[in-house]
Amino acid sequence: MKKNTIFTISAIVVLFLFLLYASHNFSAYNIRILNNVAIFLILAASYNLINGVTGQFSLEPNGFAAIGAYTAAILTLTPAQKSAMFIITPMVPWLQSVHMAFLPALIVAGLVTAFVGFILGFPVFRVRGDYLAIVTLGFGLTIRVVSNNTISITNGALGLKGIGNYTTLWWSWGWAVLAMIVIMRLINSEYGRAMKAVRDDEDAAIAMGINTFRVKMTAFVTSAFFEGVAGGLLAHLITTISPTLFTFFFTFNLLIIIVIGGLGSMTGTAIATVLVIWGSELLRFVEQPMHIFSLTIPGIPGMRMVIFAILLIIIMIFARDGLMGQKEFSWDSFFKFFKKNKKLAK
Amino acid sequence: MKTVLNCNKITMQFGGLKAVNEFSLEVTEHKIFGLIGPNGAGKTTLFNMITGNLQPTEGVIYFYDKPIVGLKPYKIVSLGMARTFQNIRLFANLSVLENVLTGFHHKLRYGIFDTLLRTPRFVKNEKIMVEMAFDLLESVNLQDKANAKASELSYGDRRKVEIARALATGPKMLLLDEPAAGMNPQETLSLMYFIEEIREKFDLTILLIEHDMKFVMNLCDHIAVLDHGVKIAEGKPEEVQKNPDVIRAYLGDINA
Repeated sequence: MKKNTIFTISAIVVLFLFLLYASHNFSAYNIRILNNVAIFLILAASYNLINGVTGQFSLEPNGFAAIGAYTAAILTLTPAQKSAMFIITPMVPWLQSVHMAFLPALIVAGLVTAFVGFILGFPVFRVRGDYLAIVTLGFGLTIRVVSNNTISITNGALGLKGIGNYTTLWWSWGWAVLAMIVIMRLINSEYGRAMKAVRDDEDAAIAMGINTFRVKMTAFVTSAFFEGVAGGLLAHLITTISPTLFTFFFTFNLLIIIVIGGLGSMTGTAIATVLVIWGSELLRFVEQPMHIFSLTIPGIPGMRMVIFAILLIIIMIFARDGLMGQKEFSWDSFFKFFKKNKKLAK
Repeated sequence: MKTVLNCNKITMQFGGLKAVNEFSLEVTEHKIFGLIGPNGAGKTTLFNMITGNLQPTEGVIYFYDKPIVGLKPYKIVSLGMARTFQNIRLFANLSVLENVLTGFHHKLRYGIFDTLLRTPRFVKNEKIMVEMAFDLLESVNLQDKANAKASELSYGDRRKVEIARALATGPKMLLLDEPAAGMNPQETLSLMYFIEEIREKFDLTILLIEHDMKFVMNLCDHIAVLDHGVKIAEGKPEEVQKNPDVIRAYLGDINA
């Protein structure tokens, strides 16, 4: 086995040891933040696969996450819960009776979302650039309207309540690690090279014999699968979902993460996810009323977003490629960095 | 001698404009064919039709006796036709090695599951591809720059990488769109030797567009001249050079 593989495996072991410690000693609030970080890591990494690596600027993750969340939630809710919840219109019978355990429900959620992504890919990849962004934005909005109006499936604007809180640290981080491994392996293969080739110059990629439609579709469907799973995990973390959860701002948050981390860099995405999700919890105090000497500032809801907007502007000015650019963290460069510092110290 | 490419009366009409009009051409095996003509004569349009980027409004194109009109461009590449671009189009953020590796994509010998599980088949084929890419880089003398980003190379080197990348697709025929554009006389000369060399080494048939007359006259076995979408002359370089129609197209009509 190569040295770097051993390092990576030990890093994952350390991560899970930390999670073991956290699950016993951390407060419920902090555990929830950790879960959030994992779920957003899955969402952002898979979003970065299509946006950063394949270079197809799209705006659909809120739609995919919604499909995943609803699918998983409908599957794990018991028939009794469903009949109690659907008070406006009763649920369609075949969905009413279906019931599954958490893991199969997540996988089905991923597969359903991947299938929707596959169907969506046909019209979507007929256009490039700005048009692609608009079409996928439309899809995200459509999913919200559909979930609001297909009352016999989604319970409409009332949403779904009482979803079991099955999402533990093990589930969320297990999926996050799996998603990272799958996406990284995909990138470090001929498929990944083809995706980057499509990003850099689509016409030249075609001239190299690359079926660019298939390459884009591979990235899109993989991305959709994990966004669906992450949606399912999210539903079982917050236990209540409604169409208002999956607005464009959901996508916008992910966009902030992948831009800060660096479009095309998965390790950058990981760092940025921790910064943004954990940071937005740390920044909660700015929305509280504050007393600075004799000055009293009333709490302004939404102040955190202002700070993030400023942060984004600063990053766009000083580090246009985000924290990592298109580079990936590698053990070699990691150790080289420390060696260099040692030399400087001497 | 075997005919590699056969264009039979192809026409490209953009609205009211006929960019290429009933153009016919037979390219025979192992020859270097030059396509010349003043700006806007329709040379690049012709290239785009042959590579499948444009569909001719009329006429047929055969590649090794197989009709290729209507095929997707990437399909035509897998039949054995590769091209370079007038303005070099490398994958700027990929390394030189990765650029060449993309050329193997259509012959990929492993699938998604091999990729995700890192099966022996994946490891073996990745290794073979890297070795083959290094061989190609060696033949263009760029093996030392394999890990440099494509955007960091000099202009002449970029041109070579683009040709190496096209060779990676395993072509029988190579289409070069103004390979000497933007090069100084020294670079042009070495490019000429280089094209001769790869023709022998990879047993290629070459069709190229070029403005540099010295380059075309010295390198090509056969030349076709295009003006306003119509072929006005064809033949050996020395024949074409003397053709009054060609002189008129390039210098204007002295009697007018």
